[in-house]
Amino acid sequence: MTAKPLKIGATVLVVLLALTGLLFATLREDTQYYKHVDEVMAQPAAWHGKRLQLHGHVADIEKKRNSLEYRFNVGSNGQVVQARYTGIVPDTFKEGSEVVLTGTLGPDGFDVDRNGVMAKCPSKYEPAPAGSSLPPAGG
Amino acid sequence: MPALGTFLLLAAFVACAYAIAASIAGARRRSRSLVESGIGAFHLITALMTAASGVIVYAFVSNDYSIKYVQRYSDAALPLPYKIASYWGGLDGSVMFWVFLLGVFGSIAVYTNRERYRELIPWVVAVIAATEMFFLLLMVVHNNPFSTFLTPAPADGQGLNPLLQNFYMAIHPPSLYIGLVAMTIPFAFCIAALITGHLDDAWLRAVRRWTMVGWLSLSFGLTLGMLWAYEELGWGGYWGWDPVENAGLLPWFTATAFLHSAMVQERRGMLRVWNVTLVILTFFLTIFATFMTRSGIVQSVHAFGEDRELARLFTIFMAVILTGSFGLVFYRLPLLRSRNGLDSWVSREAAFLANNWILLFAAFFVLFATMFPTLSEAVMGERLTVGPPFFNKWMLPIGLILLALTGVGPLLAWRKSTVVNLIDQFLGPVVFALLVAGALVAFGVRVWSSGICFALCAFVFGTIAQEFIRGGEVRRAATGSDRLTAMIGLVGRSKRRYGGYIVHVGIAVMFLGFAGEGFKQEGQAVLRPGEELTVGHFTVRHDALRVTSDAQKQMITGHISVLEDGKLLGTMQPAKWFFAKREQEPTTEVAIRRGFAEDLYIVLAGYDAAEGSATYAVTLNPLVNWIWFGFAILAAGTLLAMVPERTFAFATAKVPANAATAAMVLVLLLIPAGARAQAPSADEKARLYKELQGELMCTCSCRRPLNDCPMEPNCHGLDTQRAKLNKFIDAGMNRDQVVAAFVADHGSQEVLMRPIDTGFNRLAWLFPYVVGFSGALMALFVARRLSRREADAEPPGPRAGDSDLDSRLDHELRDLD
Repeated sequence: MTAKPLKIGATVLVVLLALTGLLFATLREDTQYYKHVDEVMAQPAAWHGKRLQLHGHVADIEKKRNSLEYRFNVGSNGQVVQARYTGIVPDTFKEGSEVVLTGTLGPDGFDVDRNGVMAKCPSKYEPAPAGSSLPPAGG
Repeated sequence: MPALGTFLLLAAFVACAYAIAASIAGARRRSRSLVESGIGAFHLITALMTAASGVIVYAFVSNDYSIKYVQRYSDAALPLPYKIASYWGGLDGSVMFWVFLLGVFGSIAVYTNRERYRELIPWVVAVIAATEMFFLLLMVVHNNPFSTFLTPAPADGQGLNPLLQNFYMAIHPPSLYIGLVAMTIPFAFCIAALITGHLDDAWLRAVRRWTMVGWLSLSFGLTLGMLWAYEELGWGGYWGWDPVENAGLLPWFTATAFLHSAMVQERRGMLRVWNVTLVILTFFLTIFATFMTRSGIVQSVHAFGEDRELARLFTIFMAVILTGSFGLVFYRLPLLRSRNGLDSWVSREAAFLANNWILLFAAFFVLFATMFPTLSEAVMGERLTVGPPFFNKWMLPIGLILLALTGVGPLLAWRKSTVVNLIDQFLGPVVFALLVAGALVAFGVRVWSSGICFALCAFVFGTIAQEFIRGGEVRRAATGSDRLTAMIGLVGRSKRRYGGYIVHVGIAVMFLGFAGEGFKQEGQAVLRPGEELTVGHFTVRHDALRVTSDAQKQMITGHISVLEDGKLLGTMQPAKWFFAKREQEPTTEVAIRRGFAEDLYIVLAGYDAAEGSATYAVTLNPLVNWIWFGFAILAAGTLLAMVPERTFAFATAKVPANAATAAMVLVLLLIPAGARAQAPSADEKARLYKELQGELMCTCSCRRPLNDCPMEPNCHGLDTQRAKLNKFIDAGMNRDQVVAAFVADHGSQEVLMRPIDTGFNRLAWLFPYVVGFSGALMALFVARRLSRREADAEPPGPRAGDSDLDSRLDHELRDLD
């Protein structure tokens, strides 16, 4: 056994270890837990301050007139949490639509990050219900 | 019709089986006739797939809704080009399109290489046919695009997703597929070489060219995807690290690595196991990309949806590929031993090696981060996700290191660089980079990441300029021609090298565009008519909200005036379109004001029709257009490196000195003459007047064209409109300019009988490029013919001087690099 393969092996090992270490160090800062609302709200205190991707259905959207402030409820399996968001929402963000919200949970509700609303595309096409969201013609 | 389609697929499946069996048997028994019949069956597959494609396209065009796939992705109101594009709009059709493309590429590759690589061809045929067979199997047992309704067929289709009804989206998937599919050819050659043991460097040449084809179309597909995301999705960016985007990027990384390390093998006989591994990995990643987007294993905005059965079939196929190929590599290890070792770490080989490791790490990282949610769920039972910030944190330094290596590589010599030539080579580019960095600091530009990126781009430009100038100098001294002619001759003589440099320029220009992202400015607001929002040095004023409709959709348009320092720059019309069949999923029509320095990008994010107010997201994207521009340079460089060596033989063999410069001056002189010839004649004016009357609307609220107003002859609107039309035409405007002028006057497209269809506008825009491209092809063809004749006719005598020149040039160039 010459020294050369040993040297190469050691170098590769050190570099790999360093990179893996770095990878996991950065992962800790950037990962978010992907949770459904009921999983989180079973024990809300345990999740306070943690970064979450919250999955649920939207209800009771309130929007302040002439502003971009939204308040709405997200829920799944009977559990509901109130969410706050300021900014632009995607077209598919509506009453009843399935959303994934990025943000943090606090004692008084879920604060959604900037651009943190992702509405899922309806995976199957269903005919629009009567009186859909189309604006009055000519308006 | 559907029965015919299904039959064609089954026939292709059988032909695949025969092609594989006949080729393998023929190769083992050395039976020429068996091999030939295998090749015949192989071409037959291509023909069958072409016919099947014809059937499905015909079904789309003729609105045959008895076929489920057609019913699902098309409807009667869909414009014709999108009907054809629907072919690859869904899962089943895209798999079929994949096989069709693979057939076409395979047939071309087999046909062009049948004499040169006679030993390899049967195995190449077998490998490609086996891949085709897998995808055909998918269709036969699981996703038949020709399956029909058992119940009576619906009267109309469900329509193509409006997001996909976009010019870029119609051509983005095919170009990405071409890229992914083309990578099968190098893999087939690689496996053939491993099986036969013909592992000299000859197979590498065939493989390299095909990898370049795949690489170029992958780059094209990725760029188009960025353009599509930028123009259609309306979130102000072009790359969001979505799993489907990443899937296309993975093989791009490994293919890029291969294109570099192949050079090391050719020059130095090193890295042979490594190259084989890269080819296999690239192919594996193309299959993996298809798997990822089609099986629903990762969640994505535009994956096709979950499908367990498909996932299982793909997993088996991928396992077979990996074990089979790496088993062969292991078996052939004795033949793959390197001829040389690494002499020094300060050498070009070492730079290439570093570049390879980093590209491979980039691929690994992107794969890891993309799969992370799935992995964490499998390992820890808890779904953890990572977002774009995580990707950016890692890919930013990786990208910058690669950019730096792009500049360093060409400056290092093969084998070993001495200190003297290091200083000689690096001085110019480094000084240039430092000057640029200094200038950035002096002008107060933020120095972190973007600033470093600018400086590194300068370094790369410096390197390449130095290479061109020094090479040109040597050639000038040898041939006595002027500088420009010498440089062009230089490029013609070693196209791969200088084509590669041009690709590097393109990459650096693209990086300039990426760096612009760091200076992005954004603003969001709800505006009532007359209210303003200021972002950067632009002020946008909301003038009105209008609702219009056509046969397919209802359109909500925000009318905006753009001001800079109080001066009106123009108007912009971002819109939302509600397609009749998909009212729940409106599409966002972004308004973009393009510029070299920056794009003003406005999205209508929401509206209140009763109040006339609108919510706008305004983004200032600096330098974005340099990305697309950089891609054009990259494509030109790749094409240059790809064309056969002899194409430019005529250019380097017998050009009078100064020819290139003279030609260029001539072209420059001719351009203004051509431009002047474009002013319309009187005849044309009359014709234009008549035509446009049918297209412009009368303003007297009759909503009829000018030549069909019921109020004629005493209609006030008609006269003013006609007078305006006459005025515009007399001013020498052409058709588009007149239309544009009317639109500008009225502040909207409402004055037109038909709204401008962006899709077709873009097709019209494409036309000159298509003409240009075919012209270039023709020129290439003629050039080849000419050079061949010359080579045949010329006696060997006068060539002696040439080879003398060659050796001198080579000698001096070797000193340089």
